Amino acid sequence: MRHWALAFAAAAFAVLAIPSAMRRLCGDDAMPQVVRGEGALAVAFGDAREVLGRALVQKADSYFHGGIDMDCHVSHEAEREHHDEHNDEHEHHHDEWCGCEECAGGHEEQQEERAAFDPWAWINSRVRAPQEHMHLDGKKSVELIPWLWASVAADPHNIEAWTTAAYVAGDMMKDTDLALRIVAEGQAKNPKSVRLRFYEGRVRYARGKGDLASARAVFVSARDLAVSLGLDALPEEERTAYEFAGRFIEEIDRRTEK
Amino acid sequence: MKTAFRQFKALVKLSFLELWRRNDIFALVLLGLALMVPLSMASPFGADGASRYLDEAALLLVWGFSLFIALGSGQRLLAPEFEARTIYPLLAKPISRGRLLFGKYLGALAASWSALAFFYVLFVGSVLLRGGAFAAELPQALALHFAFIALAVAVSLLGSLLMSASANCALSSIVLVGMFFFGRRLPEYADGLNPALAWLVKAVYAIAPHAEFFDMRQRLVHGWGAVGWPVFAAVLCYALVYIAVLLGLASLALRRRRL
Repeated sequence: MRHWALAFAAAAFAVLAIPSAMRRLCGDDAMPQVVRGEGALAVAFGDAREVLGRALVQKADSYFHGGIDMDCHVSHEAEREHHDEHNDEHEHHHDEWCGCEECAGGHEEQQEERAAFDPWAWINSRVRAPQEHMHLDGKKSVELIPWLWASVAADPHNIEAWTTAAYVAGDMMKDTDLALRIVAEGQAKNPKSVRLRFYEGRVRYARGKGDLASARAVFVSARDLAVSLGLDALPEEERTAYEFAGRFIEEIDRRTEK
Repeated sequence: MKTAFRQFKALVKLSFLELWRRNDIFALVLLGLALMVPLSMASPFGADGASRYLDEAALLLVWGFSLFIALGSGQRLLAPEFEARTIYPLLAKPISRGRLLFGKYLGALAASWSALAFFYVLFVGSVLLRGGAFAAELPQALALHFAFIALAVAVSLLGSLLMSASANCALSSIVLVGMFFFGRRLPEYADGLNPALAWLVKAVYAIAPHAEFFDMRQRLVHGWGAVGWPVFAAVLCYALVYIAVLLGLASLALRRRRL
């Protein structure tokens, strides 16, 4: 009985002492789990939401490529440029196969080489890979939206997911109203994001003449926000958005002078 | 021959009725509806028209539910007969152990296939209701899914003769689900390991059931088109050979079992 009492006292001491000691040792900022945001998802999953959010963006990316996981290929930004270049090509054979099994579906030589000693890879490369690499485009791009929506629901601070969703809505689906709604929602949840504010300006700029003045005002506010947050303290992507906002302002000024 | 057919027919009917009387399928359908109906009503960012994510979620549920039914059916073939000692009157009839095993397997297969067909009817119905079309890949996808279920029942049946019910269900599902999601990546994982572990991973890759061969979900969802017929035939042959080996081992285990 005495042993049980001692064990209970030791456990109670540990429960009380260890967290307070950790807090002293690490400081308040170094607590490993800090709930960011509100709601059940934030409490239940904590930082795991970031991982889930990124995975869902990757899923949207695979939908863009007709169901193929392109994680092994190029980054989002480069992919957008690539997409812009091929905007009129709905389907085309891809040049940049990396050797993963999905990609192996498009490379006859690679398939044969692997199949020579691995029949399972031979079957997999044919069952799980399309013969043609396709891109979703136009109105069909709406298929990407649910995954991006799920991504920002899981992690509302995933700025890449917000800007990608706005890009899909505005540039691919040509629905600038939807793009503006997405950016506005993103800004409501991330009021200190220069990138999102810059993106709002970009969408307004893309709408054409009628919105140039409002686009300029948004670019200016994006730059002001960046300055108020401290340019040196900003992450690289945010600084890039700040610089691009300046270029857009110059461009708008040039166009309005004409 | 006629006797054997009558015996198989009786065993098949028994397994079939047992599954449908247990109401597992209806519980799973209700669970599926509870997940899918809110998902289909969602309008992400107020944008309408997306349907592929619904197809993908529905197909994932069909795969998960059908695997659950198949493993349960395989597990319940012989183990309860041993526990309740009803195996004695069963074997007292003029039926060999091998025939009993095969008949029971056919029964579980018929029951699992009927459940799978029911799930696919619901899936296709939901696609048509949303204004979708009948995918050209569907017959092949269905055939491969049926073959996968036959494989899963055989895995579970063999496991039920070698270990306890909970261990069998856990191990069978880990192996099949693991291979389904990671099977094709095993050689890549092996490359980064030390030689002994790499050899082990490669051995698993060589002999474990390749559940991923039967997965045509992405083809269905994204309209990739049908698989080439030689590949389709190769996958069916793989399933047949694997099932034959598993049933052979199960038959051996049953013969050696002391009753």
